[in-house]
Amino acid sequence: MARFIIRRTLYALVTLLILSLTIFMVIRLTGDPVTLLAEPGAHAEDLDRIRAEWGLDRSWPVQYLTFAKNVFTGDLGKSFNYDMPVSTLYFQRLPNSLELALAATLISFLIGIPAGLISAVKVNSVWDNTGKVIALFGLAVPGFWLGLVMILVFSVWLGWLPTSGQGSWQHLIMPAVALGWYFAASLLRLTRSSMLEVLRSEYIKLARLKGLPGYVVIAVHAFKNALIPVLTLAGVNLVVMINAAVIIEVIFAWPGIGRLLYEGIFQRDFPLVQGVVMEAGIMIVVINLTIDILYAYIDPRIRLTR
Amino acid sequence: MAMVTRRRVLQAAAVAAGGLTLPLVRTAGVAGLAPTVVPKGKMTLAWHTNIASRWLDPQQHDGTATPDNFLFANQDALIKNFRDKRYDHLALADKFEFAEDAKSATFQLRAGVKFHDASPITPEDVKWSYEHYRGASATLLQEKTQAIDIVSDGTVKFSFKEPFLEFPILMGTANVCGAGWVVPAKYYQKVGKDGFVQKPIGAGPYKLVAQDTGNKIEYEAFEGYYRPVHVKNFTIVSVPEAATRVAMVERGEADIAYGIPGELIERIKGNAKLMLAPVLSGSWWLEFPGFNDPKNPFNDKRVREAVSLTVDRKAINDAESGGMGRVSGNWINDDVEYVIDWPKWETNIPKAKELMKQAGFPDGFKVDWLTVVPNFFSRGERVISQLKAIGIQTRLQTMERGVYLKRMETGLKEWPGVQIIMNATRMGGSWSNWYEGMFKCGGFQSKDMICVKALDDKFAKYATSFDRAERNKLAEEIQKEILEQYYFVPVFRHAFLNVIGPRLKAAKWEDVFPTHLTSGYAYPWEDLQLKDTA
Repeated sequence: MARFIIRRTLYALVTLLILSLTIFMVIRLTGDPVTLLAEPGAHAEDLDRIRAEWGLDRSWPVQYLTFAKNVFTGDLGKSFNYDMPVSTLYFQRLPNSLELALAATLISFLIGIPAGLISAVKVNSVWDNTGKVIALFGLAVPGFWLGLVMILVFSVWLGWLPTSGQGSWQHLIMPAVALGWYFAASLLRLTRSSMLEVLRSEYIKLARLKGLPGYVVIAVHAFKNALIPVLTLAGVNLVVMINAAVIIEVIFAWPGIGRLLYEGIFQRDFPLVQGVVMEAGIMIVVINLTIDILYAYIDPRIRLTR
Repeated sequence: MAMVTRRRVLQAAAVAAGGLTLPLVRTAGVAGLAPTVVPKGKMTLAWHTNIASRWLDPQQHDGTATPDNFLFANQDALIKNFRDKRYDHLALADKFEFAEDAKSATFQLRAGVKFHDASPITPEDVKWSYEHYRGASATLLQEKTQAIDIVSDGTVKFSFKEPFLEFPILMGTANVCGAGWVVPAKYYQKVGKDGFVQKPIGAGPYKLVAQDTGNKIEYEAFEGYYRPVHVKNFTIVSVPEAATRVAMVERGEADIAYGIPGELIERIKGNAKLMLAPVLSGSWWLEFPGFNDPKNPFNDKRVREAVSLTVDRKAINDAESGGMGRVSGNWINDDVEYVIDWPKWETNIPKAKELMKQAGFPDGFKVDWLTVVPNFFSRGERVISQLKAIGIQTRLQTMERGVYLKRMETGLKEWPGVQIIMNATRMGGSWSNWYEGMFKCGGFQSKDMICVKALDDKFAKYATSFDRAERNKLAEEIQKEILEQYYFVPVFRHAFLNVIGPRLKAAKWEDVFPTHLTSGYAYPWEDLQLKDTA
């Protein structure tokens, strides 16, 4: 087990190393941030002064080594635009993103799981077809369009909800629905297919042959087992929603991490983009590593075969 | 010895803030102007981008108009652009003298002015702010300044190594330079630049109450300000999506929204409660990188003229700015020093075709790309479509803003073959900023793409001249030559569109955007008033 953990940890570290190299280089390929930090027509000396101030006058390898060393010590650098440590900014925004992501997850659960369950149980019925249409709609409709339509209808025309921002529970409704809608559709599809697979299994047939009532077979025996891949997906979705709800956070002016990333990219704020991507990467890698270790702990075959 | 200018900028105290006092305001006669207006209500500005912390610190001014919005709320300058004053409105200074030989400038501080922490604004703060300023044009200011002397309790004198004609413009144009803005020296040193941007203390009409970094700033009226402040609470909230900003104003969640794209104009016009504020902003023009090469078809003046005759500027203005921009003659905005007026350009396709024929291109020719400043791609498409009338065939090249800027900075090697660039800018201060950055060989965005030696030589003479008349003459000659030779083909000045909500007191949009001559924004904030019903 110890060797398995060490091996997986090394894989995780290599993944983070590759991620750090990739984001470091990709963001630099977009151009010189000083052109966005200085005024149009700025003198060359002013540009050089800004470059030196932010350490951009050094070679890429030197910049990367500084970045990597700092990440290793928990220092993600300082944002060009906000004059603040990136980690401070990240953790300032994290609660907002968590709030939105949890609300969106709840909405995706409330829509996706019951609809998927009904679709599977009433397969090829009107219910199932309705579920399929909902899933298709959820996956096809872009979040920004849904968000803008909701603002127009519920804020401007009906006046029921605030257009944007953060504050009360009313502020949370529209962004959470717009964000959760897509994930509800994906949960619906997965719940349906997972339930169908379980319902066709031998132990379910046995349960039915034993004369158990239908709802007991579904709720107690089928649903619990079908839920395992659904919850795994929901966990991954949650991480994605926390770190990458860029469009929804922009539309609803929600001060979360996705918007922070958007602002960083827009302003070519190298430390900010690098920091947010690294934080998200670390979060995903750590979660995956934990799951891998837990799986290996629960099922010895995994650590023996991998 | 070079002949010195007759430049004198001497302002009387009477022109100060009191001159703009609104009907409801009374002023007390002690320590300048103590307002008796009681600030009330709250107003919200829906800001169109993120809010960069460095914009809250005048010491880090980036030379653009954007930080002004925050500086005009929280900070104050010795002199500044204000309503119809381009740079010489007396603010913290109640007297400003610029020596005839342009080798010194003296500011006298307004009596009794204080920072938000109640500490008095002293000449030492003025001196420290200038000496430690590190934003746009800092190098130039440091090179030119010989000494800063505190002459008396409230008077500071700046001496220069040589005549420094640009000094008042740099000190007073908030969208060019931040050296004239006075920060509390002791506080700044205590908290450092990082601490300052988190909790800036200034001398402006609004003091900071809370800041959600990058997202929202809440201000409250500063009771010790020397001008009346009408609205008690002022919030600036970042809302990147334009449709959301408009919805906020429609619902009364915001009172002003900046940066409205053309597709939302009709929605605003259709709502009687809203007012559209089309502020004239940047100028747009066509340029031909590498036209100096004899093999380049744009080397022929007749071809460049034909392009100018083909562009339907009115149609572009109508489509791109709802007709609220301006079709003007010069490629340089008319709000800067030494700019010349130029008549509107005609559209005449038959004449353009004839010129093309004379130049040896009766059927036109192929241009590799037409590139437009991101993300204004639709206006590039319109030009491409219009150029087809004289047989010029080209395609639109789209790129991300940073890539565009990088390529412009790199120069001709990034623009091989035959190219047209639809460029644009808005720069304050003087025409020379435009020439130096956009036209001069080696300039910020011209690099080796334009390079007209005769004009650059004239500009070098201009830059070293201290004779105002000579400068004026040279500036006129250079601008005239650029336009007559069609080195640049001006297109139009676009309108920066904003929307004003029903709660603000305004008979016309200029009431909310009184400084529109030098800036696209809504300050002075202290002058904005809410309706009694709001």
